[in-house]
Amino acid sequence: MDKSLFRYIWTHSKRDQLLVCGVVLASQPFYFMSLDLPRQIVNEAIQGQAFKDGQMTAPFLRMVYQLPSWLGGATLNIFEGFQVGRIGLLVGLSCLFLVFVLINGAFKYWINVAKGALGERMLRRMRFSLFSMVLRFTPEALRTVKSSETATIIKDEVEPIGGFIGDAFITPVFLGFQAITALVFIMVQNVWLGLMAVAMIAVQFTVIPRLRRELLKLGRQRQLASRELAGRIAEVLDGIEVVHVHNAQRWEQAEIGHRLFGLFDIRLKIYNRKFMVKFLNNLLAQMTPFLFYVVGGFFALRGTLDIGQLVAVINAYRELPPPLKELIDWDQQRLDVQVKYDQVVQHFAPERLIPLNEMERAVEDAPLTGPLTAEGINVADPHGGTIIDNASFSATLPARIGLISDGTAAASSLARIIAGRLPSFTGQIRIGERDLTRLPVGIIGRRMAYAGTDPTLFPGSIRDNLVYGLRAAPAGSDADADREEERRISEAKRTGNPVESIGNDWIDYRSVGASDARELDGIFIGLLDRIGLSNDLYRFGLAGRPDLESEPELAERLIEARRRLFEAFQADGMKDLVEHFDARRYNNQATIAENLLFGVPVADDFVGRNLSENKYFRSALDRAGLVEELTDMGLQIAETMTEIFEGIPPGHPLFQQFSFIGADELDDFEAILRRNASGGRTHEDGIRLLSLPLAYIETRHRLGLLDDNFKVRLVRARGIVRQTLEALNGPTVEFYDPDRICPPAPLRDNLLFGRISYNVANAQNRVAEAVSNVLRDLGLVEDVQRIGLGYQVGTAGRLLDTQQRASINLVRCLVKKPDILIVDGALAPFDETRVQALIGLLIEMVEDRSLFMVLSNETQAKGFDIRMRFRRGQVTTEESERSSDKAKAPADDAELAGEVA
Amino acid sequence: MTLESEVQSLRQVPMFRDIDPARLKLLAFTSERVQYSGGQRFFSQGDASDAAYLILDGSAHVLLDTPGGEIKVAELGGNALVGEMGILSESPRSATIMAAEQTTALRIDKRVFLELLAQFPQIALAVMRELADRLERTNAQLVAQAKS
Repeated sequence: MDKSLFRYIWTHSKRDQLLVCGVVLASQPFYFMSLDLPRQIVNEAIQGQAFKDGQMTAPFLRMVYQLPSWLGGATLNIFEGFQVGRIGLLVGLSCLFLVFVLINGAFKYWINVAKGALGERMLRRMRFSLFSMVLRFTPEALRTVKSSETATIIKDEVEPIGGFIGDAFITPVFLGFQAITALVFIMVQNVWLGLMAVAMIAVQFTVIPRLRRELLKLGRQRQLASRELAGRIAEVLDGIEVVHVHNAQRWEQAEIGHRLFGLFDIRLKIYNRKFMVKFLNNLLAQMTPFLFYVVGGFFALRGTLDIGQLVAVINAYRELPPPLKELIDWDQQRLDVQVKYDQVVQHFAPERLIPLNEMERAVEDAPLTGPLTAEGINVADPHGGTIIDNASFSATLPARIGLISDGTAAASSLARIIAGRLPSFTGQIRIGERDLTRLPVGIIGRRMAYAGTDPTLFPGSIRDNLVYGLRAAPAGSDADADREEERRISEAKRTGNPVESIGNDWIDYRSVGASDARELDGIFIGLLDRIGLSNDLYRFGLAGRPDLESEPELAERLIEARRRLFEAFQADGMKDLVEHFDARRYNNQATIAENLLFGVPVADDFVGRNLSENKYFRSALDRAGLVEELTDMGLQIAETMTEIFEGIPPGHPLFQQFSFIGADELDDFEAILRRNASGGRTHEDGIRLLSLPLAYIETRHRLGLLDDNFKVRLVRARGIVRQTLEALNGPTVEFYDPDRICPPAPLRDNLLFGRISYNVANAQNRVAEAVSNVLRDLGLVEDVQRIGLGYQVGTAGRLLDTQQRASINLVRCLVKKPDILIVDGALAPFDETRVQALIGLLIEMVEDRSLFMVLSNETQAKGFDIRMRFRRGQVTTEESERSSDKAKAPADDAELAGEVA
Repeated sequence: MTLESEVQSLRQVPMFRDIDPARLKLLAFTSERVQYSGGQRFFSQGDASDAAYLILDGSAHVLLDTPGGEIKVAELGGNALVGEMGILSESPRSATIMAAEQTTALRIDKRVFLELLAQFPQIALAVMRELADRLERTNAQLVAQAKS
């Protein structure tokens, strides 16, 4: 980005700036007219100056102009005007006034919108170029750059800059114009007084900025301090576990408190100085009239200046301060923004970024195979210790190379060098003629994959994460771009943003050997299966929701599976395992709410506690005559809960796991019970009591609240509830239907179409087995796994365990079939036997491509073509006998892997 | 059967005899009621100890693995508590428990039970008293054996 803010603004927005400036100037005559009209209305229409010689009519809208005598003195007669009476003139002028007000308003509206849009566009451009620079941070810079600080810069710090951009040129031009007019007027009246005013302004413009220099320094400090505060808060939040483990809450509080004091102190200093400057500024501004009175009055007394002139000068001077003041304010804002801009630019200093030309896509793009030679590789740790000392080696790619670590960082460093992830080393490493360190990022990204210790997953589904490595470029834009899309593209062009839409298909199916999304899913499932994640995927699938919109035929097959399961559960010994949903029977394994709705809510108003507050649901209960009894049940539940959970501290796991009532609500419910006993129960109390039985499951909670008679009534109420909800517009509840899939319900529920019994021992496992058998028979396992690909991994993949994360990371690397796969600690979460098996698997899966793998011991290195050993910074390579044969006969791979596994 | 009847059953167990009704209710509420059909195992010898069981209804065999196959060493009836030693000592199951007929039991989860012990000294004391009683009985038996 440009070092100077103004140059940056001017390069990217001069057209808009000039346009707005032009409109501002064009609006001025109308503005002055509207200022002049009130005078005309008073003088000519109301006081009747236009009718002074006994005229009954006066011209309205007369446009006759007298040219000055040096132009010939001709009269330009455009329009003689309408002859109107006094009332007519009054109404006419007033209407004219209204017209000008409207015109001015319209101008103002357009200018404000244009200025706003201009600012926002520049802000968008600036944010985007900053984000592009984020992607270009060098690995060294990334060690010191804090993510939260960078986020603060892009989000908050550039915001005021954007607000200022609309005013950057227009305001000084406009205000300067006004000030100069007033000044010229004074000069015309009296040169000396004019010069005096100029002198005072000159003083103002030299002294004030000097005073502000300190202010700028403080502003800079404030910005850095608040940025650090944001960074620190994020650090604490990221490491909150450590804070709790070591009981460092007080220390952290003190630390933040200290920072807040620092911020306060800087702010206070800023205020002191700012208002001091303001005071001085006002004083200087008032100094000028003082001088006018004294000096001008002196001249007037001496008779060298007539009184009229003096009064005119003083009057004109009144016009001068407002624009001047605004100009000074603008200047203040400019400095402020300039400081911010400088700070931002500094954060993204060029030396912290990878040069642009390296980022750009390279033309030459050949497979990374051939002789790999490394010469004089030296790597040092940050303290100057040697990690790799003048190492040289060579190998012919493709090859499976095991980097056997000696416990130091050497093997991992070499792996990172090959992956282009360790820029600070000396020496040469090349494949054929190509220097590995000079490979453009695009090529590295496409032809290499590096799986490190700490897999990064983005929030989204497993599929989203696996696809991530295949999203290099959009496959082609939508043919039917609508108007909204055209607008988006034109805005993107105007602001230097990318025109590609994320709505396009970015996935490069062909590169992985798939023709569409479904086949790609198949490839994912195959890979995950081999890496040992198929069971997890299957479980995720059962908990997931089927996407019937893209696969309508799936519904039929799922219904078939449901039917088969139903039959399976009729068999002896299985009867009690699942209680099926039946429109005419109460389901003892489901909550009362589920039994009443007989479906799955799709709108939040029908979920959990919201249900008891929902007026439609409530009215249905009213009509079914259930409210009274359910509320009584609520009372009983509340009594039992307050009794048995009394004395358990809030936040205790027992609460979270078992109680109907949150720990913080216990007191509320005690109060409700007391009110109830004294007969003062409120409507809100009733709602809260009603919410309790809705979550009640007789077989699980066993409070003995439901008898058969009441169950029958609950089942009868289903019809009323359904009628009520179906009469509503919009989504409410998706009702169960034995012949249809219920989309919002998890797949498991859809297959069972019932609930697993709480009472039967080992029911979960036996049901799971039955489900899995049926799914296998019907060939539905892959479909379930495909649904499992939609499982949300959570922020940084936290909803997965470390092994699942590592597996997904590996599959993400494998699926793009890189020429070189580098595995450096990615298997750390697995135990030794799994690691052995996975190594064999990886060797097999890379087929005829290259694999570099950091290994922790010799036994892991069996299946590799080349073993690279590290000792005291030196590298030795040993080629296994097989490697030469294997290049010829890749079929050996499988056999080899079999041995290792 | 409801929570109340389970509390009545818990009260019959010497270990829980002197505990407040509210606490017993909590213990029952946080446990699961499970049904076993005849021949179904509660757990097998050598399994990790994850729960204690209170037989509410029905009966169960206690089986021991021997080189000659499993042999039945005892029979458990209503209100018998089984598996509580394992969850306290963290040792694997020392015997197999198999339902003799259709049997209902209250499954007291180990984690929940330990939480309750940690939270309520009264329950912990009752458990200690019971264990001390048992130790004393064992001692007495040993003495009797030594004498004979």
